Amino acid sequence: MKNWLNNLQNGEPWVWFSAAALVTCVAAVSAVVCLVAFRGLTHFWPADVAEITLVGGERVIGEIVEVDDLSRASFIENGGSEEILQAGQQSVTRWLLKTGNRRIDPPDFRWVFAHEMALIEYPEDIVVIEREAWGNAYGHIVAIELNTSDPEPTVVKGTSIDSVLLSALVRLDDTRGAIRELEQGSLNRISSELEALRLELRRQELSHDGPELTAVANIAAQERVLLTAYREQEQILSGLLSSLTGTALVINTHSKQWHQDMSEVLRVQWPNRMSFPGKFRAWLGNVWRFLSDNPREANTEGGVFPAIFGTVLMVLLMSVFVAPIGIITAIYLHEYAQQGPLVRTLRIAVGNLAGVPSIVYGVFGLGFFVYVLGGNLDTLFFPEALPAPTFGTPGLIWASLTLALLTLPVVIVSTEEGLTRIPQSLREGSLALGATRAETLFRVVLPMATPAMLTGIILAVARAAGEVAPLMLVGVVKLAPQLPIDGEFPFLHLDRKFMHLGFHIYDVGFQSANIEAARPLVYATALLLITIVIGLNLSAIALRNRLERSYNTFE
Amino acid sequence: MAEHAPNAHLARRHLIDRLTTRVVSFGGITVLATIVAIFLYLLFAALPIFSDARITPAGGIALPPRDTRLVDFNENADALMRVSTDGSIEFFGVADGAALAAYTLGAQITQVRRVEPTLDTYALLDNRGLLWFVRVDYRVDFVAAERKVRPRAAFAFGPQPVAFGQAQMLDAQLDNANNLLIAGASAQRITLLGYDDVESGIPLLNPRRTTVLMDQAPQHLSIGPRNEWLYAVSASNRMQVLAVNNFDFVEELFRTQIAASGARIDAIAPLVGRRSLVISSGAGNATQWSVQRDDLGFRLQPIRSFDTSGRGLAIVAEPRRKGFALIHDGGTIDLLYPASERLLTSFEGALQAPLALGMAPRANLLAFAYNDRVMLFELDNPHPEISLASLLTPTWYEGYKGPVFSWQSSSADIDFEPKFSIVPLLFGTLKAAFYALLFALPLAVLGAIYTAHYLSPSMRAWIKPSIETMAALPTVVLGFLGGLWLAPIVEDNLSETLNLLVALPLSLAACALLWSTLPRRLIQRIEGWQPLLVIPVLAGTAVIAILSGEMLEAELFAGDSRLWLRDELGLDYAQRNALVVGMVMGLAVIPTIYAIAEDAIHNVPGHLITGSLALGASRWQTLTRVVLLTAGPGIFSAIMVGIGRAVGETMIVLMATGNTPILEFNVFEGMRTFASNIAVELPESDVASTHYRLLFLSALALFIITFFFNTIAEVVRERLRTHYGNL
Repeated sequence: MKNWLNNLQNGEPWVWFSAAALVTCVAAVSAVVCLVAFRGLTHFWPADVAEITLVGGERVIGEIVEVDDLSRASFIENGGSEEILQAGQQSVTRWLLKTGNRRIDPPDFRWVFAHEMALIEYPEDIVVIEREAWGNAYGHIVAIELNTSDPEPTVVKGTSIDSVLLSALVRLDDTRGAIRELEQGSLNRISSELEALRLELRRQELSHDGPELTAVANIAAQERVLLTAYREQEQILSGLLSSLTGTALVINTHSKQWHQDMSEVLRVQWPNRMSFPGKFRAWLGNVWRFLSDNPREANTEGGVFPAIFGTVLMVLLMSVFVAPIGIITAIYLHEYAQQGPLVRTLRIAVGNLAGVPSIVYGVFGLGFFVYVLGGNLDTLFFPEALPAPTFGTPGLIWASLTLALLTLPVVIVSTEEGLTRIPQSLREGSLALGATRAETLFRVVLPMATPAMLTGIILAVARAAGEVAPLMLVGVVKLAPQLPIDGEFPFLHLDRKFMHLGFHIYDVGFQSANIEAARPLVYATALLLITIVIGLNLSAIALRNRLERSYNTFE
Repeated sequence: MAEHAPNAHLARRHLIDRLTTRVVSFGGITVLATIVAIFLYLLFAALPIFSDARITPAGGIALPPRDTRLVDFNENADALMRVSTDGSIEFFGVADGAALAAYTLGAQITQVRRVEPTLDTYALLDNRGLLWFVRVDYRVDFVAAERKVRPRAAFAFGPQPVAFGQAQMLDAQLDNANNLLIAGASAQRITLLGYDDVESGIPLLNPRRTTVLMDQAPQHLSIGPRNEWLYAVSASNRMQVLAVNNFDFVEELFRTQIAASGARIDAIAPLVGRRSLVISSGAGNATQWSVQRDDLGFRLQPIRSFDTSGRGLAIVAEPRRKGFALIHDGGTIDLLYPASERLLTSFEGALQAPLALGMAPRANLLAFAYNDRVMLFELDNPHPEISLASLLTPTWYEGYKGPVFSWQSSSADIDFEPKFSIVPLLFGTLKAAFYALLFALPLAVLGAIYTAHYLSPSMRAWIKPSIETMAALPTVVLGFLGGLWLAPIVEDNLSETLNLLVALPLSLAACALLWSTLPRRLIQRIEGWQPLLVIPVLAGTAVIAILSGEMLEAELFAGDSRLWLRDELGLDYAQRNALVVGMVMGLAVIPTIYAIAEDAIHNVPGHLITGSLALGASRWQTLTRVVLLTAGPGIFSAIMVGIGRAVGETMIVLMATGNTPILEFNVFEGMRTFASNIAVELPESDVASTHYRLLFLSALALFIITFFFNTIAEVVRERLRTHYGNL
């Protein structure tokens, strides 16, 4: 008893609370990361597709997405009848099925209660059809029809379906490739040349002495040539597009049978037939397509390649701005400025800037960079495009500059930290040997501070990659028609808007029409973003640790 | 030459040295100046909302003498239109007074009104009681790069006039569904004429017509919103409101005395949208009367009065905003705005009473029309809606029961009254930060204490970086998890969640008591491994709490905790609420607080700790009496930085709350913060509008608030470092 009181008095029990707090913190971090990783990775796994026979004889096909228990009260509240429940039964199990087939056989998600089920099967011939639009379709392939435009189409049934289907898919893939090449290649080039001509004409009109007649005639002639070329290419395109159609799958889901035109089919898989390695291969394929494909269906399907590209490019541009400026400022503060109350105040101010909310930088970026700087650039250099703004609208360059401003304190603080660690004796040694200050800086100080600068830049990049709020104001869009880098002069288009992984999460998760169907994709994007950001941070930490070790020798 | 070489070399070295100094100093100073520039830019972008309006006389235009009935402007305010009694419709250039076009109706005009809320259609009543509708349009040509306006007038609904009858006053309005209503009064008789679904250029068909006999002759007549009612004021200053949406059954909705029956009413004008009227009566008094419709029925009541500089003569309402100009009989012009209760400016014009007054659509030009000339006044009044009072104190808006705090910046209606009170946003910002810190503070500070004071160094090397890494977790991911994963889980398992939040500390306390009964020898062996022991305790409690949640719900909350909250405590439940934001934003704030607090505790000089332990104090006693006292300022500064971060966080609040600007401290409802408000509204805001500048003001407020907290933190930490150095 005495022991007990004694312990309470010297407060040892309270240690428990602090230990528990620490555990909770660590658990929360790992829970977040694990949740995102699990949901993000399983999204690509080809799940088995169940065929559930209900008590009444109806059969439902779909992926089992979720299983949960519904309490008795909420079961009855949701319209369930009390007679079904056994006496004393407190909860009802229900399965959420993703039945897909949007637009053909709604709804695409459906709850099935345990007591409604008679049998669950996984028939091997169920196919998952990834469609160009409206998500997956599930069902049994009954037949494949060729030449559907003929009055009497060829119908293939039985075992030869698979080989015919596969060869049709290969052919479709080739055609789609050709279409993409045409659209992004020659058609795109012609339309941008036409736009350039339009601007040239406008420039002529705006010129001081009025348009020059020969130049105008020249432009008109060029325009005619381009328009003819455009029409030719369009002909080829429509030919290719029509060659996509003509083959259809006959799909049966018991409740419905329909013709699925192959032009809308991207991929066909038989998940129930796949072995584990087969599924793994399919999973790898899905992950690769997620990373390398363009988005479809208002970003809720397909890949995130443009978002990855936009994020990386924006962050790279930002580093180009922030690295020299941040490092020079840090050198000034630490090596050149007269140390005194003013510099101390400035140092505090710089540190505080890191704590200023990112949205404030976004507001500044929009007001100052976009409207003031961009607006003036437009009136000075691009009057022919007005009133359509060129730089006076959110875009890549303004986003990079805004984030450069946002991450400036990170680079300054980190570099200064590195400079502080360099023993004063080394500088004095260098100066004593007759080196000038600049030589001391370039030959002694900077090489030793390189890891600190790198750490700063990596941390800045990590911070920038995860920021979304300011970007929503200064240049990110839901869907950018073109990448900011392409084959057209000037190759890097600083005025274009771009896509971003973080904004993709916000947009798809909160602005899309069918959130239930889009959610798994958001987890995948979130996982990608977390991996990038945490990976960058870890490398910065590793670099910092190495730095700490290497300076221990001087102390 | 050989002698020069070292000198040249030296000169080059010195040149490089000087250049480097220049470049570095210039670069450094520029960046530091940029930081100041950010602040100044935000300030300059926001400040104009508080500036006063200006009225500048813009000269006069001499016109051919006619009995002027109406003057009006086009959108750009570069052409002036005049309608005179003799039926002439003339247009003049505002800049030079040049005649641009002239038409004549060929009839004597007795009444002319613009059809509200259009800016181009006019109803003219002639002396035979025929009603004409004229539409004007202003074409713009560029002749030799010079802007030329070419006004044209034409019949709006075909050339046939409509028989209406004589009237001493007239009003006409086109509602959203294109139904036209014309109201006229002659002695005690009010005539109403309605056309449904009118279309420009198509003759008016199927008139609906009715007359109402009043017991006193109206002195003022105006149509209410959506052509639903009619305001009529009699000579004895009695306001009667008639419901006119059904011509077969015109009834009186409301009547009130708007001034003592002997008093003289100088001017009455409905404000745009026509949900309120401004009535000027007697010296220095103008009152805004607003309609309110609720379960108590229809009411028209005075909601504020303005102090003006003299007796009113006429009121000109702005065509697009709720503001108005009050003209005094001494010729003074006052510009006023109701919601901000501001007299924006007052201009002593010393003008004679005009025959007609006209205000340009953008409210940038005001015309005093006389027989033979028009006097013009430029109005520079960009931000009348804002005053410190309207930002910070309850404001009585049109149609409201009483003064409220409200933020509602835009709407689909053109006659919408913007409500700019920043109090709900400030409140939401503080609410979000409060709940986030409620969650984060104990976890982060206690966790930091354990890490710095108890944890073995090898464990610390792992744990600290992993919690700090969490600071880098993109908040958009946390917001997504909060809004789409956690919020539905909490909603479905509310009792379990609340149970968990209560049970965890309780079970820990129980554990701690149990722990102190253990023999000392055992305690010493386990010392430092508490985190591992705590895991099963926490996990076990969590499982029990979740399993018993449903039972508790059935016992305590009658089976449904959300319903119980609503019925018993009157608390509404929103799926995305402060509880969810508290947890998720707490998670985002924890690493910030943790890192700084841990540093402060860890850096307490070792000799203080060993000294305390040597004197026989336990580790906890050392912690509370020595370590925490020394590191206290560091922990304080950690909290300050945490507040700064919570106040400015955008994505989490944006995604994990409903973003409704409400003034409810209820943990089960959402909020809208400054930061999320900017993210939602700035992309849609017009450049340089009041709304835009107000958003800049809120960004500036965020900047100052966070700068303030961070500076306190930094100064405290600086002192602490010196303090540690001295120890």
